[in-house]
Amino acid sequence: MADVSKVGLGLPPYVFVVERVKIKEFAEAIGEKKPVFLTKEAALAEGYLDIPCPPTFITLALQEFTGAYLKAFEALGVSLKNVLHGEEEYEYLDEIYAGDRLTCDMHFESIVEKKTKTGPMDLITLRTLFFNQEGKEVMRAKSLIIETQ
Amino acid sequence: MLHYVDFNGLEVGDSLPSLTKDPITKVQLVRYAGASGDFNPLHTDDSVAQKGGLTGVIAQGILIMGFMGQAISGWVKTRDLKRFKVRFMGMTYPGDVITVKAVVKEKKESDEELFVICDTLAEDQNGKTKVSGEFEVLARTGV
Repeated sequence: MADVSKVGLGLPPYVFVVERVKIKEFAEAIGEKKPVFLTKEAALAEGYLDIPCPPTFITLALQEFTGAYLKAFEALGVSLKNVLHGEEEYEYLDEIYAGDRLTCDMHFESIVEKKTKTGPMDLITLRTLFFNQEGKEVMRAKSLIIETQ
Repeated sequence: MLHYVDFNGLEVGDSLPSLTKDPITKVQLVRYAGASGDFNPLHTDDSVAQKGGLTGVIAQGILIMGFMGQAISGWVKTRDLKRFKVRFMGMTYPGDVITVKAVVKEKKESDEELFVICDTLAEDQNGKTKVSGEFEVLARTGV
């Protein structure tokens, strides 16, 4: 089960660049065809400064290319094969645009053991704060990860 | 130009126009794996998924959340989306047809601005909920 002594700790802050081509790749994988996410001209026409980040694009900053989830599981002694994603929450504090460099600060907010009919499980909450290149906090993410046995 | 929803004109209980996606394909799961960097073989390799007791690959939960984000960004400009939360409820398979729905749950005023909170869900062709959640938008006048 997850190492509760690590609650309050986190990963060293890391940088995630909002790559223009990754937004396009992400949009195409989902089937998102709105021009605002595909061309800068369309984004400008809607009053944005550049292509805005689609609502769930930030998941890329938590997944394998940055390795954040995997590093968190390793730090907490959690086996990947016992892990389920329970909930995901984003708070949007300011706009994020293609080209932004986000500094991501993930910490292990809580680990709660829950007894169920099929055995105990740990509810692990990971909290990530995102700051842009100007040091402004632009987003917060909360991931609830379930570790079964 | 897109026509966003006028959240000022909505009342609690009103539905937003639903978004029905094309059937999920295995190629789409591979594309999403490449885009997101989540290379868990449960989403891309049938033989691995079958060893785990599944009938075959399952869709990334976050892909379904992405569909919901697509619906939301059709209802409101992303700059006015303030919060979006989901709970992953069930597995989704290639061939499933996902529809994203939303209903206004609450309207609240804060600092003379109106915020609208909606319940949302993604369900399959049998009406089974795969992901449920809620989101909050700033209802700007004159959008």
